[in-house]
Amino acid sequence: MQTATSPPVRAGGARRATRVGRAIRSPRARRLRLGLLFISPWIVGYCVFYLYPFLASLYYSFTRFTGIGNPVFTGLANYSGLLHDSMFHTAVFNTVYYTVIEVPFSTVAALGLALLLNMKVRGQAVYRTLFYIPSIVPVVASSLIFVWIFQPSFGIVNALLSDVHITGPAWFFSITWSKPTFILLGLWGLGQPMVIYLAALQGVPKEMYEVAALEGASAWSRLRRITIPMISPVILFNVILSLVLSIQYFTQAQVIESPPGSPGTSTMFYVTYYYQQAFQDLHLGYASAMAFLMFVGVLIVTVVLLRTSSRWVYYENENR
Amino acid sequence: MIEKIYALRRGRAHGPDRTASQARRARAAVPAVIAACAGLALAACSGPAASSGGGSSSGVVNITWQTMWSGNTLTLLSQMVSKFNATHPGIHVTESNIPSATGDAKLLSEIAAGDPPDVFTEWNPVLGEYAADGSIQSFKPYLTGSYAGLEKWLYPIALQGGQYNGTLYALPMSMNSWALYYNKSMLKAAGISSPPTTLAQLYTDQAKEWKISGSKLDQIGFYPLYESAGSPFEYFGSFFGAVNCFSSAGQYDLASCAGAKSEASFFAQYDKYPYSSVDGMETAYGSVAGGDDDAFVAGKEGFTMDGPWEGAQNIPVTNSAMVGNFGVVPFPNSVGGPSTFGQGNYNIIPKGAAHPKQAFEFIAWLAGYQNEAFNSQIDPKGGWMPASPTVVSQPAYKAWLKANPWLDVFVEQMSSPLSVTPKLTKTESEFLTAEATAAEDIAEHTKTPQQALVYIDQQANSGAGG
Repeated sequence: MQTATSPPVRAGGARRATRVGRAIRSPRARRLRLGLLFISPWIVGYCVFYLYPFLASLYYSFTRFTGIGNPVFTGLANYSGLLHDSMFHTAVFNTVYYTVIEVPFSTVAALGLALLLNMKVRGQAVYRTLFYIPSIVPVVASSLIFVWIFQPSFGIVNALLSDVHITGPAWFFSITWSKPTFILLGLWGLGQPMVIYLAALQGVPKEMYEVAALEGASAWSRLRRITIPMISPVILFNVILSLVLSIQYFTQAQVIESPPGSPGTSTMFYVTYYYQQAFQDLHLGYASAMAFLMFVGVLIVTVVLLRTSSRWVYYENENR
Repeated sequence: MIEKIYALRRGRAHGPDRTASQARRARAAVPAVIAACAGLALAACSGPAASSGGGSSSGVVNITWQTMWSGNTLTLLSQMVSKFNATHPGIHVTESNIPSATGDAKLLSEIAAGDPPDVFTEWNPVLGEYAADGSIQSFKPYLTGSYAGLEKWLYPIALQGGQYNGTLYALPMSMNSWALYYNKSMLKAAGISSPPTTLAQLYTDQAKEWKISGSKLDQIGFYPLYESAGSPFEYFGSFFGAVNCFSSAGQYDLASCAGAKSEASFFAQYDKYPYSSVDGMETAYGSVAGGDDDAFVAGKEGFTMDGPWEGAQNIPVTNSAMVGNFGVVPFPNSVGGPSTFGQGNYNIIPKGAAHPKQAFEFIAWLAGYQNEAFNSQIDPKGGWMPASPTVVSQPAYKAWLKANPWLDVFVEQMSSPLSVTPKLTKTESEFLTAEATAAEDIAEHTKTPQQALVYIDQQANSGAGG
């Protein structure tokens, strides 16, 4: 039975339906649909290959799971296990050690190299090519080459040191020297950030240098007051990238050290241990907890960097 | 689809003139495209379903065999598959290769996705864990009829290596056996007339062969802590009675095992040599020739403990100058007779395999069961030990032994009652990882032998992580 108020309600519903219909057919909605249509392969790929694995991994981190059968929910057992796992602590220490030294070291080296390669000298293109080439050598191949370069008894590095009466260490095979050697190995792949810095350097307006030169600014002063501030957004980008890659350091250590993590536990990096837990010992729940902690760690470091970047990163178009 | 997109663009350009049917088609296009993309993505993930799907209209059952090999071995596998397919018209095998640990990960994903290969070759010590989890199938249902005698046909250590809690889960296509290789010219240069027969003699002899100047290592005598670069405790274990040291409660118990203590003390004897230099030399040689090279093959090591492939394959392929310059004797031991650590390349049937019966038939054939003649021709090419003495008695294998008498040692050890196979346990993977770490700790002087044994027990027994 209809009530007296029924018609206005129907009328209101019809009005809403009309509004919704108009909204669906509006040019804005059509643009949205078209946009979604074009990015739909990415959306599907993201959901299937990133979002689902991420959520699944988060769930597995609260379970005991070997990859087969059903995961058994264990609450925070994996996380509390990590707190008491001495090898996990070692892996965290080794990774932090590597990151804290490698990131500034490679940033300064890549920037220095880019500054040198930005100078107008004869054969500039040849130099640029030569310094970039190493970064396109596959990581496994370059790692195996470096095993021979740093070989303690017949490697070229120790042979050269021997010529100047220095007894070289065992490099990759010494507990003390293994991590510094991996940091040195990291210099081999500087081509990538170097090219990015080079592009940024070429974007710095020349007029600034001309004015500075007229004012009598020294080269160091020009670097500090013009070059670095102008390319600081690119430095931030490279530092974040380098930081993430350093925390995920794996391939070289896995290829070079046998067994992985040796000598002693000096090259047991975070991902090395994660890989061992996941794919050797089939502790996928435990490894998922490690993966999630790494995600949180990287997220925190990145957010802190971005938040503090306003103090040292200069964006030309921003108002200060 | 292209037409639909053009229609959408035309529709937007024409604005109000767009027809209702065009709009419907445009609306329909969005979910259609998303569905198509999702379908494509899922299809890409699902892998070669057709290859593992099984039967065909011609009545031939297609089975897949996944291995983790490369190089020369891969060529041999192809020959084996061709032979099987030629002699078994009702089954067709397709072989694929995934490198080592990645292969394990892929297998797990395939099992979880319900699309595993029919046969998988596994050398990693995870069979116990797989069996305990129910991720591999028992062979028990197939050991009837013409296969009733299969278990007795195998070498005892080959059988033990495939059993979990007394049930057969895996069959080896080839076995490994370990002995002491020596470099003849180095032995002569050191003034030693014959290879060592006792552990003490080995220590004394090898000491004469080291060449170290300052921190520069030119030549190794013998260095057990790096042998096989994996788990020396396990590889040398059979020579000391140190394999399968368990407590009455079934826990790993090396710390109170006489054999394990004796073995750890044997390792500690060698800790005076520069581990990092040895590691550097072995890793450098191991990084070339696909891992077939090592300091012994390169002529830089006086003694090594290794398997038949070292002389049958690594030396001829990598350094022919060493052919004829090496000899093999039983590894000196404290157990009183020929002994080896039994290990092999085992084939398993994953849970969810589409054709387990045919898979088992193929696995038994690969092991050489009722296929002894062909198997006896293939094993020598791979430098492998057969899984059964019946294969050894075949003319082709006998001819190989006659041409390479140094192999007799390996064959003799296979049937020795003193040879042992590590028991498949749920945490053997953790046990092996702990062993490798403990051996390094002894070499680096960061643990005493006894501390190393305690460490192994702790890690292996608490290894049931999440």
